[in-house]
Amino acid sequence: MAHITINQYLQQINQAIENHEGSFCAELLSFKHPHVANPRLQLASPEEKCQQILEPPYDEMVAAHLRCTYAVANHDFVEAYKFQTLVVQSFLRAFQSHKEENWALPVMSAVTLDLRIFANNAEQQLQKKGKGQPGEMLEKAAEQLMSCFRVCASDNRAGIDDSKKWGMMFLSNQLFKIYFKINKLHLCKPLIRAIDSSNLKNEYSPAQKVTYKYYVGRKAMFDSDFKTAEELLSFAFDRCHRSSQKNKRMILIYLLPVKMLLGHMPTHQLLRKYDLIQFADVTKAVSEGNLLLLNEALSKHETFFIRCGIFLILEKLKIITYRNLFKKVYLLLKTHQLPLDAFLVALRMMQVEDVDIDEVQCLLANLIYMGHIKGYISHQHQKLVVSKQNPFPPLSSVS
Amino acid sequence: MAPRASCQTMCPAQELRNRESQNRLHCFEVVPGTESFRKPKGDPLRAVKEYSRPAAGKDVTKPSCLRPPDVLLKTVCYLIDEIAGSTSLHPWTEVYSFVFDRLRSVKQDMIIQRLSGKDCVAILEPTVRFHIYASYRLCGEPLRIYDPRINDTHLQEYLSWLFDCYKTGSGPYPNQEEFQTLGLLYNLGSSPAAQDILELPERLRQTPSLKLALAINRAFLEGNHVHLLRLVQKLDFLQACALHRHLVTCRRHLLLIYCHGYHSRNCRFPLDRLAQLLSLEPSLTAELCQVYGIEVNQHNQVLFSKSAFTEPEQGSLDCKLYHSIVSEKQRGLTVKSIIHGCT
Repeated sequence: MAHITINQYLQQINQAIENHEGSFCAELLSFKHPHVANPRLQLASPEEKCQQILEPPYDEMVAAHLRCTYAVANHDFVEAYKFQTLVVQSFLRAFQSHKEENWALPVMSAVTLDLRIFANNAEQQLQKKGKGQPGEMLEKAAEQLMSCFRVCASDNRAGIDDSKKWGMMFLSNQLFKIYFKINKLHLCKPLIRAIDSSNLKNEYSPAQKVTYKYYVGRKAMFDSDFKTAEELLSFAFDRCHRSSQKNKRMILIYLLPVKMLLGHMPTHQLLRKYDLIQFADVTKAVSEGNLLLLNEALSKHETFFIRCGIFLILEKLKIITYRNLFKKVYLLLKTHQLPLDAFLVALRMMQVEDVDIDEVQCLLANLIYMGHIKGYISHQHQKLVVSKQNPFPPLSSVS
Repeated sequence: MAPRASCQTMCPAQELRNRESQNRLHCFEVVPGTESFRKPKGDPLRAVKEYSRPAAGKDVTKPSCLRPPDVLLKTVCYLIDEIAGSTSLHPWTEVYSFVFDRLRSVKQDMIIQRLSGKDCVAILEPTVRFHIYASYRLCGEPLRIYDPRINDTHLQEYLSWLFDCYKTGSGPYPNQEEFQTLGLLYNLGSSPAAQDILELPERLRQTPSLKLALAINRAFLEGNHVHLLRLVQKLDFLQACALHRHLVTCRRHLLLIYCHGYHSRNCRFPLDRLAQLLSLEPSLTAELCQVYGIEVNQHNQVLFSKSAFTEPEQGSLDCKLYHSIVSEKQRGLTVKSIIHGCT
């Protein structure tokens, strides 16, 4: 591969196209394949040669691909991105003309993946020079991927084996990666809807499903739909291959806060196994109702939590922590009529600044409203009167 | 190559001539004394290029019609000093419409020239202040004269652009603290807005106003509106304007959770105490309770009850009655100084 001539290369691609060998064709167009390092293929003007051997639009597609290898060899990712765009555009023209056949799906996967990667690299290069708006190139890449997605999603005529719909989940996953990076999560919705309503929903490969549920789970988290987030992220975590430690860890980073909000604390063992000790103090603080430790833990690992985008969700654990602290007060005093002062003392012990009896009442009222405490506050008697039965319902039953 | 800009006046001469002959000058743009003429005379010192919807075939890049950054800045200052900040032009809804439109045209010129960096920031900052002030000043005006959603859409765009400038430019930007704070307060409770703040460099996040805004945001999300309304006392006037549209939500939530938290047959919560918590006069507090269906007895006690709480009927809640917490901060400040940021 690293030594073939341009003619041999073009002949191989042509054959692959004529014989509908999707996977082989994909290799010949993928930057993961060694042919891209072959200097004989890195031509600045390959158009003529391509036209001699290949039919349109494959001639344009391959010419753009070769130009791309030239650009990459010169480390010019902005140029590379430009040409990869042409590759995808020409590919799409060909793809649309394939009636009731989907042999080219592997090619689509390869060229769209490279498009996204080059968009990333190009943006980084521009940033270093202080040019270009962040997210601009990724957004354009996303538009191209969406065009591919639409072609796949609207393939209603072909039978299941020949349907282009098999490409939908791969493309969704690529698009999710972009939308999360440029922080435009609302654009995920139409993709999720399309996949949900498709009959292939559960038939995609396990790996694709894991990635898919990971992103949809994170979106659910963002929308504060924690029950759904837990289902999706748990699926992703359980089905993620044992050997992908890194991926399992990434899923866990988002699954843990969701589970904690639902009242399920992780074991120290689990945290050690996946190198997530940052969560250990948070966990301890929440279960003990220790607001002081929680604030310290959030502050200590602030950079990590912010970078992962979970800092704000972890702050939601404060409400759970208040609930746990107040439950302790209840268990200590062993009465159903609890003086508000007791809660004030508990908060002051946790070094919560500036808190007074008015705020205590507000916090308690909020917990009652949210269903975390069953009871009522008597202003006249300055007491919290709790139900004799199950005054602090289990967290999993509340949210 | 970005288009060149050579128009040295607030309004391109050609446009002034056209609008004059078509009798399409705004009353703020005519030579004083000629308003009642059949064709009022345009005053080149007061005419400002208007916003024009992009259309096919329209060439917006003609240099003689484009104003360079220094002229754009002069235009913005004129709009603030002589129009928005004027004490003689009435009503302010008319002032707002004019300034809103002319600022939109300034934005157009900026986009066509692909302005960035310090030039952009100098123009965007007073623009943002104007829209934030307007969101408070025009609160309660009828929809056909002022639509808060339209003001919001444009304000969000300006904020977004301003924050992009801060992120990608080389700085320094001495007002960044002020505007990140205003942005967070305006978008209270929004995760993306808070996440943006968290991703700022440490030295910015530790500034007093951002710490205060973050604390207010945290109180909002924790449902601790008692704490929140106390912190609001520490805001300055423009910051309070930014937060203003969330006051209704905060007070509603407080009343709602108290209806649940104090729900009992013998509930007698002192009205005065509630007034303090809501930062309102007792008489207004009683009115507000009424709007939400909560009973106040003749001994000035509030009878909180879960079943009593009802959403107010459309239009029965006049925010203006209840926003003295903002208005009292205005004191001796002039509109001009507010928008220029000299509070």
